[in-house]
Amino acid sequence: MTASQGGKRVNMSSTSDEMLDTLTLSGKMVGAQVRRVEDPRVLLGKSQYVDDLDLPNSVALAFVRSPYAHARIVSIDAGTAQNHSGVQLVLTGADIAEAIKPLRVEYDPAKAPTHKPCDWPVLAQDKVRFVGEAVAVVVATDRYAAEDAAGLIDVEYEPLEPVSDVEQALAADAPLVHEEWGDNVMQTLQAEIGDVTTAFQTADCVVSERLTTGRHMALPMETRGCVASFERATDTLTVWSSTQVPHVLRSHIALVLDFPEHHIRVVAPDVGGGFGQKAHLFPEEAVAAYLAHRLGRPVKWIEDRRENLSASLHAKQQVAQAELAVRRDGTILGIRGRFVGDVGAYSEYPWGSAFEAGHAASSMPGPYKTPAFSFEAVSVATNKTTIGVYRGVGLPIGVLAMERLMDLAAHKLGLDPAEIRLRNMIRKEEHPYTTIIGAEVESGSHRESLQKALDILGYQECRGEQQRARAQGRYMGIGIGCYLEGTAPSSAAFASMGLHLGGYESATVRMDVAGKVTVLVGTHSHGQSHETTLAQVAADELGVPLADIRIIEGDTNAVPYGMGTWGSRSAVTGGGAISKASEKLRSKMLRIASRMTEVPDDDLELAAGMIRRKADATPLLPIKEFAYRVLVQAGDLPQDEEPGLDATAHYEPPPSTHANATHIALAEVDSDTGKVTLLRYIVVEDCGTIINPTVVDGQIQGGVAQGIGSALYEHALYDENGQFLTGTLMDYLIPTAVDVPQVEIGHIESPSPHTPHGIKGAGEGGAIAPPAAIANAVADALAPFEVRVNAIPLTPERVLDWIEQRKAAA
Amino acid sequence: MKPAPFKYACPGSVDEALALLQVGGDEAKVLAGGQSFVPLLNLRMASVESIVDLNRLDDLAYIKRDNDTLCIGAMTRHRQIEVSDEVRAAQPLLCRAAAEVGHLAIRNRGTIGGSLVHADPAAEWPLVAAALDAQFVLRSQDNSRTIAAREFFLAPLMTAIEPHEILCEVRFPVAPAGAVWGFQELCRRPGDFAIVAIACQLTLDAGGTCSAVSLAIGGAHSTPLYVAEVEPILIGSQGDAAVMTAAAEKAAAAVDPSGDVHGSADYRRRMVKVLTQRALKEAWDKAAKSERVLQ
Repeated sequence: MTASQGGKRVNMSSTSDEMLDTLTLSGKMVGAQVRRVEDPRVLLGKSQYVDDLDLPNSVALAFVRSPYAHARIVSIDAGTAQNHSGVQLVLTGADIAEAIKPLRVEYDPAKAPTHKPCDWPVLAQDKVRFVGEAVAVVVATDRYAAEDAAGLIDVEYEPLEPVSDVEQALAADAPLVHEEWGDNVMQTLQAEIGDVTTAFQTADCVVSERLTTGRHMALPMETRGCVASFERATDTLTVWSSTQVPHVLRSHIALVLDFPEHHIRVVAPDVGGGFGQKAHLFPEEAVAAYLAHRLGRPVKWIEDRRENLSASLHAKQQVAQAELAVRRDGTILGIRGRFVGDVGAYSEYPWGSAFEAGHAASSMPGPYKTPAFSFEAVSVATNKTTIGVYRGVGLPIGVLAMERLMDLAAHKLGLDPAEIRLRNMIRKEEHPYTTIIGAEVESGSHRESLQKALDILGYQECRGEQQRARAQGRYMGIGIGCYLEGTAPSSAAFASMGLHLGGYESATVRMDVAGKVTVLVGTHSHGQSHETTLAQVAADELGVPLADIRIIEGDTNAVPYGMGTWGSRSAVTGGGAISKASEKLRSKMLRIASRMTEVPDDDLELAAGMIRRKADATPLLPIKEFAYRVLVQAGDLPQDEEPGLDATAHYEPPPSTHANATHIALAEVDSDTGKVTLLRYIVVEDCGTIINPTVVDGQIQGGVAQGIGSALYEHALYDENGQFLTGTLMDYLIPTAVDVPQVEIGHIESPSPHTPHGIKGAGEGGAIAPPAAIANAVADALAPFEVRVNAIPLTPERVLDWIEQRKAAA
Repeated sequence: MKPAPFKYACPGSVDEALALLQVGGDEAKVLAGGQSFVPLLNLRMASVESIVDLNRLDDLAYIKRDNDTLCIGAMTRHRQIEVSDEVRAAQPLLCRAAAEVGHLAIRNRGTIGGSLVHADPAAEWPLVAAALDAQFVLRSQDNSRTIAAREFFLAPLMTAIEPHEILCEVRFPVAPAGAVWGFQELCRRPGDFAIVAIACQLTLDAGGTCSAVSLAIGGAHSTPLYVAEVEPILIGSQGDAAVMTAAAEKAAAAVDPSGDVHGSADYRRRMVKVLTQRALKEAWDKAAKSERVLQ
């Protein structure tokens, strides 16, 4: 056993089994490195995913998808398909136009005056806007027959000129993705805070860069999918979906089908990854739910990998123009950023795809004290798959831009890249610090995390090694990436942007007659280990052992209305709701126990499965016995007490909880081939109070893997005709286990003063800084060639071209 | 990603398989390890009327040495070749190439014969077969013929095999005494098809002078490309840098690459030069470190 206090964990184990769990010195579960409750189920293959659900009499769906980026639908002939063996029904856009509303993202016009909404028909009406758009659906006895019949549907298209990139989209004579807009701009956000013009005029040094990024994908291991079933006896439409947002899905299915929400049940079973992609209602899910009701048979749609690559959601592709003004000593005077996001054909539902560029822009100042900042975020429609939220949303791009500028400025001024960052970072004693964009950074460890990361790397030794390698013709580089991330956004934060979305969370805490606890919470774990971490929170609140707590998520008939899991929110908001509900239950328990024990409730506590006297920890009554008396021998309850041992609470997080981290990449570039190899990767993170170090380490390792994908490999590519070129995993490359170094992780805990236990979010951070750290490492490695690293992914050919262009110029 | 319907047969002997192919004609297709063919079926990029599955033909899975020839049955899995002591002794370049085929799970299932007949110009087996002048034994119901690897590959995914033929055996010449080899592969990630790969075998005398050389290029041409033009440059040389550069430039001039999302045609041509230099250097370095094949 290992013990922890103030971030230090001490090994005190006596047996090998106990070594796996690391408890805290205080005996608290929050902070303890207990094994994941989920592991036995996941590792033994016992998880039940949506495709494991085989309902009798089911039918399967296959969608006919557009081979054109932009085309008018002239006619659809489904006659042969309709007669194909096993086919039940074929529907086209015309058939469902009345029955299923298009997905339409509406923002509050007062808050988002430049936003233009568009209809995303669940089956294309009149024209198609991206390769992969659903045009018709086949219902058949199995997926084989459905695909056979889909191949028999003859769609006649009249191709239109496609909009293939943002430059073309913004040209005056560009074809229009949505004619009713008049142009291709979905939304423009602009702000100028402080005197940016003077900052740039008076600066000793100005650096600028134009950056382009890849079109990324969340690429969950389990693709999208759902099973929908309508039960006539109870008029209940049940949708089992591989989703991150069960209640959001329920509300929006009700909305687009005009179906009473209290007769819809959504269940998210085990979900094999989401990373943002599954925080949406998709056209296919709406169609499946509609068909289950119409046919009275269960309907299954399990997306295949090709559909996931071409027709789910893409992410993050932007063109950024960024400028930084600094004094001679490196002090930041001002930042300018313009981010143009290539949002694709429609708008992710219900968030809205304009989210992406706005987040990139506003993330630029990050942990750096910035007196003047102006930004513009332009979201532009093109004939590509729609952009959606994906781990970190715009932050990896905003941080990439800012961190490249910091290195450029350091280089120009002859400063060390670490030093220029340390000089500008918010200091510990300056918290709470209000940033240039008005966010209150309540606590943090910006300088400390950078210093610690440099120490783990052995910065000076590494610089020496770099020099020795260069003398041998080897190009090694060190790259730093630092960020500040607002986690667990509040309802007010969304309202200020005009989004129709809450940031609160809900939980019910329920004790049974044996004193065991069931927690029903509106978050949803699809890899985040909530059954472990949220149980750790409840264990401390209610003084019962971890094994006596069960976390239930994902069934809208069971859990109170919640927002699901995304935005590094669940530990803060799910944990917060559980703490708040537990507090209600605890005070009721202590009030009743006080009557039973004749000890004032102020002098009682719940701990170690007992009701104890607080002063000397004397056990007075086992919680198990107490629960039986309250719930079963209820006649003995005080007359003024309501029966029952459960409580529900809704928790609104503070306006902001800020996590921070420093990433350092050590990379080597083969100057003959352009290939980048990562030698080491270091992360020092601060997500406030850590609930379980193993879970945070896992989030970092996984996030960094995805960030490495963004930096080195991933790009969903289209040609100039809008044809999709990366339709398999041989074309769209993600890092495999052998491409990802074991991340060297350091933790600093700066608790939030505003959340229960001081928790901040940890889900997305790992994926935010790798593009910045790796791009900076490659630039540093290639400093002898003075290469400008201004695009990701850093493919071998791209890197070699940069080297050879500089060699040719020299 | 479900295949279109097809008929399926899993014969118990080569003769039975050949009879099925004779009947099936152009519409029948052989299934070996299925590591490329099955995805093509699932993506509906290929569809066939019938499949003749060779996976019960254990008598096509073998490695045997016949004097100066190493004979490998077409259904031998990549992994069996990778770890075979017999292969390592006779022609170690094959073990090196096998280790670069896909990932372990793919190597456990995929076969040398399947890879050769699939004929991806960026795959390892076509490359080393061209480099080492391998011979392929093809059988049909009423004929058996042997064809040189260097004549077998016609275009991407196209070979000289007839629809009713099965590739039964691959014959590699055993490395001669004094042979050294080089193998260089550039890909985005380990296990991917090569952007460019080079395989070469050199015979060097005790002083390091080259008396014979054979070099082929993968990934940069419509077929694996055996480059005879480098031989006059390298034979008689001792592997100095200028000679290797001249040979590499010759190799780069010989290819006619096409580009894809992982590398343009121009990049591939440039990489042919870089990797040829590296492969030749690797071979000469092996000689310097006394890592020659001793037969």
